[in-house]
Amino acid sequence: MKIVVGVKQVPETDSVKIDPKTNNLVRSGIQGIINPFDKNAIEAALQLRDQAGGEVILLSMGPDSYTTSLRDGMAMGADSAVLVSSRAFGGADTLATGYTLAKAIEAIGDVDLVLFGRQSVDADTGQVGPIVAELLNFPQVTFAETVSLESENTIVAKRQLDSAVQDVQVTLPAVVTVRKELNTPRYETPLNIKESFEKQITTWTENDLNIDFSKIGQSGSPTKVTKVYEPTKELKQTTVLPVDPTEAVSELLSKLD
Amino acid sequence: MSITNDQNQMLIQMIKEFTTNELAPLDMTIDANGDYPDGLLQKVIDTGLLGITLPREYGGAGFDYVAAAEALEKIAVGNASMAVTLEGHFKTIEQFIKYGNKELNEKYLPSAVKRIFAFSMTEPSGGSNPKGIATRAIKQGHNWVITGDKIMITNGGLAEVYCVLSKTQDDQMAVFVVDKDMPGFKFGKREDFIGLKGVPVGEIVLNHVVVPESHLLGTIGEGLEIGDNAHADARVLMGAVLTGITDHALQTAVSYSKERKALDTPLYQLQVTQEKIADIAIAKQNTQALYQKGAQNKITGRPYAEVAAMAKSYGSRSAVAASDKALQILGGYGYSHEYPVEHLIRDARAMELAEGTIEKMNFEITNAEIAK
Amino acid sequence: MDNNEIWVYVEITGSKIEPTSLQLITKAKQIADGRKVVAVVPETSKTQAETIIKEYGPDRIESLVDDQFDEATDEELADALFQVTDQNRPNSLLFPATILGRSIAPRLQAKLQTGLTGDSLDIYYENDLLVQVKPTYGDNVMCDIVCPDKRPQMVTVRPNTFRAKKVNNSQTEIVQAEFTFHKNKNSKIIATDPIINSSSKLDDAKVVIALGRGAYSEKNIKLAQKLAAKLGGMVGVSRPLTDEAEFSHDDQIGIGGASLSADLLINLGISGAVQYTVGIKNAKKIVSVNIDKDAPIFDDSDFAYVGDVTDFLNALMNQVK
Repeated sequence: MKIVVGVKQVPETDSVKIDPKTNNLVRSGIQGIINPFDKNAIEAALQLRDQAGGEVILLSMGPDSYTTSLRDGMAMGADSAVLVSSRAFGGADTLATGYTLAKAIEAIGDVDLVLFGRQSVDADTGQVGPIVAELLNFPQVTFAETVSLESENTIVAKRQLDSAVQDVQVTLPAVVTVRKELNTPRYETPLNIKESFEKQITTWTENDLNIDFSKIGQSGSPTKVTKVYEPTKELKQTTVLPVDPTEAVSELLSKLD
Repeated sequence: MSITNDQNQMLIQMIKEFTTNELAPLDMTIDANGDYPDGLLQKVIDTGLLGITLPREYGGAGFDYVAAAEALEKIAVGNASMAVTLEGHFKTIEQFIKYGNKELNEKYLPSAVKRIFAFSMTEPSGGSNPKGIATRAIKQGHNWVITGDKIMITNGGLAEVYCVLSKTQDDQMAVFVVDKDMPGFKFGKREDFIGLKGVPVGEIVLNHVVVPESHLLGTIGEGLEIGDNAHADARVLMGAVLTGITDHALQTAVSYSKERKALDTPLYQLQVTQEKIADIAIAKQNTQALYQKGAQNKITGRPYAEVAAMAKSYGSRSAVAASDKALQILGGYGYSHEYPVEHLIRDARAMELAEGTIEKMNFEITNAEIAK
Repeated sequence: MDNNEIWVYVEITGSKIEPTSLQLITKAKQIADGRKVVAVVPETSKTQAETIIKEYGPDRIESLVDDQFDEATDEELADALFQVTDQNRPNSLLFPATILGRSIAPRLQAKLQTGLTGDSLDIYYENDLLVQVKPTYGDNVMCDIVCPDKRPQMVTVRPNTFRAKKVNNSQTEIVQAEFTFHKNKNSKIIATDPIINSSSKLDDAKVVIALGRGAYSEKNIKLAQKLAAKLGGMVGVSRPLTDEAEFSHDDQIGIGGASLSADLLINLGISGAVQYTVGIKNAKKIVSVNIDKDAPIFDDSDFAYVGDVTDFLNALMNQVK
């Protein structure tokens, strides 16, 4: 099986601040880490590879610094990685990102399964997986909490909707986005860390892909961010309860009724 | 930044994650139960931690000693016992790498990613003074027959392969490798120590254990040198473990003194607290600098035995003192089993004795200075 | 060709209409400013959702009827919606940010080659541009997003962000939309098990006891569960605790998790990052307990207790009858 796992690098902290002067996000000095949900996708891929054989290829779009996350994924056991990287891809929204990744998956060729984390912890909300699936005309299972290989080219996955649990069967090639509950990602091992530096990270620019330049980067992005700001809070009238817990609870209960 | 640094950094990151998730939550339990819980060592093995220093050709990860020592520092912050268990294993592997013949290494080292190796010197008749070694190795044809009693072995009972410092029939010192599955090999009693409660420290009894010639580590007569080398290697790593213990004391003291208030003032704003926290923090840095210098000297081929002795001598005394200061900051809570500081004192205290007493360190450091 | 309508996707699972879709119809009417509000409903012949949808007063209901919608896949739903939105493109197309909405909307977006903002917390018009407000990077950052050139302007909106309101005497036109159900041969729903106890959702719980990093201990979890049982409520957590073995993503409050509509919420050891507080803004009474008197959570609280979580829980257990 040839499995591609989409990997995104996110800021280590979830408290990115805004520079009050420039109104831009302050991102310098913040370590990039692999999006935690993507680790579940990598784990799922490694388990399927262990079961059915084949290879696990990590795929990411972003600046050179994203090699950190790709390295981490390879230290978990993935076989190789592709980084799609160029200024031309900058400013991409989910549609342009999905398009670029879909084209990279085509370029990798003969891919059986594409896995994504359910969403990234920073900005996007799980749109890229379904967009890639649509553009490649692959079937999808989103938010999967179990994934099993039923036959050589069939996957059955369970997903929980708000009022029902569905078992979805898809024929490969397919896209699956996974929930954290699917598995516990394995640790990197010291040996895998060493080996990750011997595995290949292929870097592709827009010139290495068969793409329509009008569909990538900022120009290929239908959405624009017009404003980034700190939300204003409406402060509530807060009653501070007494220090003694018993008194605090009596006062609370008397005022709640 | 160099690739080595990147790799070491990834190792440390991975070790921190493993420690935070798997070891730190069990720290108090390990101390209370006096053993590792079921499955924990297996997890350590499955995550490949036994192979950190083992060369790639034997299936290990081949990290250098600087990285290995730093890894043990981070592990010790979560649980000092596990760090010492790994220290005992790593220092033994080092002796195979330096002194082992090809046949022996090819036979044994590939299993070192799954099995713990130990180094045994001390005997019931007294300390780590090699002159009084009573264990005998007698040559019979192409084999050596070993008989003796070794005690106070780090990981004794847990380890499966033992380096045994012995005297040959013509009173030459030599180190032989024995396997727990060999006829005549028996485990003896485990010590009931007050600290490092997870690490078994125990005895092996050898009754005419027969090993082939290839099981001789180094050469006949090289036994004491190998013993000294093992000591130096162990002391570097102990410096790292002591740094971790001191860091654990520091973190506990800092978080407590931020939360806890005397009237309305957080403890850390009081001068009496500041004096202690500063002392603990300085001790941590000093021990760290000493062990890192030792590790750095080792990997660059410079002498490191003296600075290794310093790391252990200074590190153990200051870690005991630092944990004691943390206890004082925590007051009555510090004296209870609810907080880790009291067991940090007991843990650190072990290293004023193990791998040579403080007195022996001072003797060696002085001799080294006199000889300069 | 474009039209100036606001379309709302009405999600039906089993025979249940997703409440967020109704909330979105109400919201769409509030911001419509002359634009027509259209509910688009893929349904089976048995569902007859129109009767219920009508009560919320959309100008028109576009009903896509086919019995295969009973167990339609994401691909089939996106395909059907594409057939009715592609030729005469609405100004805007709103989806509930449910699991299903978040799965279909991006597929449809790729077909329509337009913009989609996920998990929005507010929407309003500036001229013809739908401004979509969403939080990003967890804490402290919001952004306004627009889709200037492409139509429809697509957005998924978090459940319980708005309140649904019924209207009297609505003049709702009901249209049977023309489309063909294209069966997808590569995907199939092979089993659907309804989640029986749908009241066991945090979103709808009347009382919620919420635990954060500052309250994480075995003792506090037990106490919180006991108290929740006593009050007929549920225990929820902030995001950091979903990494702990005791909790899962289903217990999470805030961005990516539940939006509460509780009458009473008790926050224990929760500092109050924005990604959490967006999930509690519709809770009626909020009590917060934190050791840090400067914790931001107190700004969102009706009652503040600065002190130990366990002490407070014990006092509550003793005094609540």
